[in-house]
Amino acid sequence: MLRRIAGSLFWTARYLERAQWRARLVDVNYHLLLEVPPRDAEPWEPLVRITAEQELFATKHSHASEASVIDFFVFDKENRSSIRSCIESVRANLSPLRHLISSELWLAVNRLYLEVQGWSAQALAAAGVSAFFADLQRHFYTIEGIIVNTMPRDLTYDLIAMGTMLERPDNVSRLLDVKYHYLLPRLEDIGGPADIRQWAAVLRSASAFEAFRKVYGNAIRVNRVVEILVFDPAFPRSMRFSIERLAQAFARIALREGEPVPENPPCAQLLAMLHEGSADQTIADGLHEFLIDVEARCARLADHVFDRYMSLE
Amino acid sequence: MDAQRAGIAVPGWQAEAVELQPINEMFDAQGRPRPECARVIAYLLAMDSKRLVELGERAHQMFQTMGVTFNVYGDHEGGERIFPFDPIPRIIPADVWAGLEAGLIQRARALNAFVADIYGEGQIIKDGAVPRDLVIGSPQYRHAAVGISSPCGVYVTVAGIDLVRGADGRFHVLEDNVRTPSGVSYVIENRRIMTRLMPELIRGLRVRSVENYPAYLLASLRELAPRGAADPTVALLTPGPFNSAFFEHVFLSQQMGIELVEGRDLVCMDHKLFMKTVHGPRRIDVLYRRVDDDFLDPAVFRSDSLLGVPGLTAVLRAGNATLANAIGTGVADDKGVFAYTPAMIRYYLGEEPLLPIVETYLLRDLEVRRAVLRDLDRYVVKPTGASGGYGVVIGPSATDEELAQARKRIEAAPADFIAQPVFPLSVHPTLTGGAGADGKATLVARHVDLRPFVLLGEKPRVLAGGLTRVALREGSLIVNSSQGGGSKDTWVLEE
Repeated sequence: MLRRIAGSLFWTARYLERAQWRARLVDVNYHLLLEVPPRDAEPWEPLVRITAEQELFATKHSHASEASVIDFFVFDKENRSSIRSCIESVRANLSPLRHLISSELWLAVNRLYLEVQGWSAQALAAAGVSAFFADLQRHFYTIEGIIVNTMPRDLTYDLIAMGTMLERPDNVSRLLDVKYHYLLPRLEDIGGPADIRQWAAVLRSASAFEAFRKVYGNAIRVNRVVEILVFDPAFPRSMRFSIERLAQAFARIALREGEPVPENPPCAQLLAMLHEGSADQTIADGLHEFLIDVEARCARLADHVFDRYMSLE
Repeated sequence: MDAQRAGIAVPGWQAEAVELQPINEMFDAQGRPRPECARVIAYLLAMDSKRLVELGERAHQMFQTMGVTFNVYGDHEGGERIFPFDPIPRIIPADVWAGLEAGLIQRARALNAFVADIYGEGQIIKDGAVPRDLVIGSPQYRHAAVGISSPCGVYVTVAGIDLVRGADGRFHVLEDNVRTPSGVSYVIENRRIMTRLMPELIRGLRVRSVENYPAYLLASLRELAPRGAADPTVALLTPGPFNSAFFEHVFLSQQMGIELVEGRDLVCMDHKLFMKTVHGPRRIDVLYRRVDDDFLDPAVFRSDSLLGVPGLTAVLRAGNATLANAIGTGVADDKGVFAYTPAMIRYYLGEEPLLPIVETYLLRDLEVRRAVLRDLDRYVVKPTGASGGYGVVIGPSATDEELAQARKRIEAAPADFIAQPVFPLSVHPTLTGGAGADGKATLVARHVDLRPFVLLGEKPRVLAGGLTRVALREGSLIVNSSQGGGSKDTWVLEE
């Protein structure tokens, strides 16, 4: 496989994951604000902080309102990480390598792309936010399902898996980091209904609400939210789960190439942190510091993947 | 050498020639269906006209869902377009095709021999059959190609030869494309669509398949591998996603099961060509390139090019890889050299040309130029250095101002232009614009051409049919996709 193609597959997966993630963030925030009278002047502002795009956002919008954030997150062509841009990148990346993917996958991606071509704020208003995002989410699930069910577990699949599993923990980390600091100061609310609703929204943003309830019932507490999103071995969007899948992809590639399994695989340290750590201890030691560390390690892993499989130098 | 000695006609009588009426491909002059078209016409007549409109819409939708598109240069917003498709098929009976096929192979072989000769001994020039300055002065002549030889003597691996059908019903050659001809992917996709839209008709008529083209192409390319490569690796070099034919590059590489590479994927080491893979550099034996000469090798051609790979020419010179088509083949499809192609066929093959060419006048000859300028509104003037229909002036439909400008350009640089008498391109019933106000389909006559594809390897191979392009604008003679043209499926009938 060409190294450039390896890069295309990896970025396809990252953009897909990113688009899906953003769709959930906007959707959940929208529904959260439907019922709770906003206490803050700008209840949409944390979304911009979660994605660390304040600077670009500020060049376009004076403040974070529902309309401006939706525009920036969903439609903005100049924002490389907007859902529209992500989907266009996915299609542009996949288009020249249709021979590596199933035709079902290409058709599903192209169908979504064609829908995006008709997107506008008016179209969204006409469809209604709920229906718009429900429809979008269906597209994403279809695409994911096709990937999992039609693609052989070969290098192509492993590169896609690597992209997904590096993008996912990064997104979870940013969500937790911002929400934690945004919600923390409201001590008077801790355990109160507003607080619980906020944490439930965090869980929903990670599609973790039902999974959480299965394990912990209705008792939403910060440490349990961190536990399921970071350390849970079974929940498919937890950091631990993602990094384990990443490690498996590394191992499969090595195995296929007849390389000996390295004694110290690239994600060993991060994996150990996630296996051995606990939410209570991490919060006590400083959640922010922990998350920054995880993000830096993910970035180093992405560099490693790039150097090993994609760099043209 | 003057034009007359080389058998090039001097216009004069053309000015008095009667206006020729184009023929209709489906109906004769009395309006009766041509025999080979009778079944298609009956089929169309039996169809509810609303359903015909639906067929056109369904075809468009299928192209869209499958992502069959082309890019328009200089159009950044929504630069991706569907090549308009017309569902009314164009029929070529078996005997007509047999004649065309023989003529196309003859022509491709002569053009190939010309390229080999020009960058080798140059015998045809020494013998005075083609003027030296016309060849060496061609913008497509590449000195860097001198001395690069090719296995089995093939330089023109892929030729797309544009044919037009005249008022006499005969196919004439309008121009040759032997650099990086495109359009074949639409032939195959058009057929895929048509087998869904009109399956019974295709089966009933015994239409010849076009699906074998990628296999033919791959076989031809593999035959060109440098000796010693037992299981040669072939790759397709594309300029990238912004090229107008990118879809085709993707399509062909997939169909052939070869890598689609960009310049940055390649590296030359020890006078050998490699692509950069996840598992390290991998040797390439044959490079099917869809990048123009000038961008192939920044060490030899344009140094600012990022589309090629430095050192490629040296690899070719060392005989360690083959390029298809070879560097400099454009000298054979130069619009000025075109006038000499019948002479070329006689010179290299000792045969009479099977396919006539559309009369072509070189405006560099003073006498010819005077005659053409006298009646400029009766000619089509083409710049020799351009393709894709750019810069073409069609006399009868040009404004006085456009004619005056063309005259000025010709007088400033006469060698840069050729003129052809306005050729009455045949017309074909076409479903344009979908339904009328009453929701009913209307078939209108639109001009068409045909681009068949000839492949040269150890033996020649020809795709049955080719790309029928149709000028969708009323009266327009320009069928290029970049100029508002569309396409039709071309059905060559089995004996």
